[in-house]
Amino acid sequence: MSDSPGGLDFSTVIASTVHDMKNSLAMLTRAHAQWQSQLPPEQQQASEQGVIEYEFARLNGMLVQLLGLYKLGVNQLPMRPGYHEVEDFLQAQLARHFEVLQSRQISARCEVESFDLMGFFDEELLGSVVANIITNSIRYAHSALLIRAWEEGGKLVLAICDDGQGYPQEMLSQQSNYVLGLKHSTGSTGLGLYFAGRIAELHERHGVHGHIELANGAPLGGGVFRIYLP
Amino acid sequence: MLEYGSKRILIVDDFTDFRSSLKSMLRDMGARDVDTADRGEEALSMCRNKRYDIILHDYNLGGGKNGQQVLEELIAGKLISHQCIFVMVTAESSQAMVLSALEHEPDAYLTKPFNRASLDQRLDKLVERKTALKGILQGLDKQDPAAVLEACKTLSQQDKRYLPLCQRYQATALRELGRLDELEQLLNGVLAERPLPWAQVALAGLMHKRGELSRAQSLYEKGLQLFPMMPALYDGLAAVLLAQGESQRAQQALEDAVKLAPLAIRRQMQLGKLALDNQDFDSAGKAYRQAMEQGRTSKFKSPENYLGLAQAITAQAGDGSLDKRLQIEVSQALGELDKIYAHDPNVQVRSRLALASSLNKSGEPKRAAQLAADAAAAMEKLPQLFAADTALSVASQLRALGQTAASDALLKSCVEVYGDDPQVMQGVARQTDNAEILSSGKEAVELNRQGVRCYQQKQFDEALRLFRQAFALQPKNISIALNTAQSLLQSASGEASAALLEECRRCLAVVSQMPETDARHARYLQLQRRASGQ
Repeated sequence: MSDSPGGLDFSTVIASTVHDMKNSLAMLTRAHAQWQSQLPPEQQQASEQGVIEYEFARLNGMLVQLLGLYKLGVNQLPMRPGYHEVEDFLQAQLARHFEVLQSRQISARCEVESFDLMGFFDEELLGSVVANIITNSIRYAHSALLIRAWEEGGKLVLAICDDGQGYPQEMLSQQSNYVLGLKHSTGSTGLGLYFAGRIAELHERHGVHGHIELANGAPLGGGVFRIYLP
Repeated sequence: MLEYGSKRILIVDDFTDFRSSLKSMLRDMGARDVDTADRGEEALSMCRNKRYDIILHDYNLGGGKNGQQVLEELIAGKLISHQCIFVMVTAESSQAMVLSALEHEPDAYLTKPFNRASLDQRLDKLVERKTALKGILQGLDKQDPAAVLEACKTLSQQDKRYLPLCQRYQATALRELGRLDELEQLLNGVLAERPLPWAQVALAGLMHKRGELSRAQSLYEKGLQLFPMMPALYDGLAAVLLAQGESQRAQQALEDAVKLAPLAIRRQMQLGKLALDNQDFDSAGKAYRQAMEQGRTSKFKSPENYLGLAQAITAQAGDGSLDKRLQIEVSQALGELDKIYAHDPNVQVRSRLALASSLNKSGEPKRAAQLAADAAAAMEKLPQLFAADTALSVASQLRALGQTAASDALLKSCVEVYGDDPQVMQGVARQTDNAEILSSGKEAVELNRQGVRCYQQKQFDEALRLFRQAFALQPKNISIALNTAQSLLQSASGEASAALLEECRRCLAVVSQMPETDARHARYLQLQRRASGQ
């Protein structure tokens, strides 16, 4: 992993820089929120606010993901699985994006097979995956976002669906090779999916690992991201 | 949205801006009674005066106690009800904190920055959950494990969402009730479904308690393969290794745990002791320094950390002389110790001896001798006995400082009090070959052993006769006195003979000076309650 002659491990440099960037971004976000609250009401709703909030969330998501990938690389990503109420988990993810959804006039909701559906997963890791996918869907959605959850063949399935243009065809046909998306430089999608795939894989039961799937179409006609957890 | 108007809420954060923005969010949600604090110490004192329903506590307050310490003290001091909602607010990923907080977990973590919608959603959910769990939480508040079990049974049948939580409460209740077979069955059932960290730790701990050490060890090792970042598993592994006499590997396991979670004073203290026993004085010094540092803001501070640090530094000098800078560190640590424990004469004696031992190595033998003489004189009128291992280490210090008579006297009393413990006798034998000391308690110990055998075979009259004989020979021995007392209570229970109870109380009075850290202290208190008719 050592890329520089001085014996300095480049990935460690990146990781500690990302850490600082995250703190810096948190300060920025807070200062901005404070400043915004002091503005007269008519200016608080300016369309730039939506852009700023969305990009703050996107940047934060990318940094969290980058740190996660680093920890995966050095095998230091702690797994702490537990039982969670799926509906509660998904509502919490949507709540995090409340302002952005509102300013972009996207109606978001979640549909859970039964109110008492339980899942077994690492809440924080899966939370960062779902948050990234939601952020991505918000970018492409026209007006609607739907998260569904159900059980299928002993696995919990979460599907994040939008009414946008859907995933490009080459991504659907080469799902096993997410890193390919990086080369085509279609935004951060490739890396995001790679991260999601790795987190899904970390979830294991009796030798069966989790995985992700991409599709287009129903129920909203746009992109559908599914994560399967054993 | 639920009703927050009647909730008593406390916000603890060191940033004024954050406190006011959180407060205004809560007010928007209808909350009226919102207090704020900027330090953990302040939060604790506020909780002493007011029962809060919801506490939002920042983890890292930049100084003083952190959120986890405050939570532990709130629970240990019963300053909050189990029905209180405690949310830990964190600046970044909570994983590391979560892993360290297995014993006392907050009800939820909330990562900054969060919006009003997230706060709403989280609090609504927690209120709903606490309401559903009410029966269980009331049982916990009343310390009634049987009621907890009953409530768990009802709730987990009503709503399967609460089954995982109920199982965890059930496990704790079964352990408290000593229903270990049922506990094992429950844990095996939970783990057959999914590898849950808490259940893994609990099952391994149960095996250790049952003396199945190799099974316990393999359970901890398996747990660590699954959850390599969980300090509690290293703690447990260390304890099992130590019980098997593998003190080097035990130390390594604790070092791993400390790397993952350095903010754990009791773990640092344990590591210091283990390293000291392993004669790894450098590691011992490091661990005790950490424990001492953290102890300044913690209720878990202990004189052992100051004394351990002094001992580690002094021992590290070996036969050579002690560096000036290190002598200053020892003197400062012991000075601080004297101040904190000014009311505890046992600690004062040990502090003086520790200082004398170090001064002896830094070219001040005269002052050392004076301090040692002072300590020897003070020892004659101590209100409480030393614990066995402390007594042995004090005796060895006295001997090294030339106070041979005081050392012999202490060893003699050690044999009188703890002579039935072979490990203690080995420790005494390492320091002296004086037959008068070593053989003084033999006959009484043998009578006591026979008495125990008779008692187990329900030959109560014969047991009492043997215990009485042993007690007459060695009236200071804690085991003999407790056995005699118990045997007297057993005989007195028939026709409630007042004379027997009186004799029992006399036996117990003899051991009233036993150290509170002694494993038998709880038994002593229980016997005392029974003897006084409570």
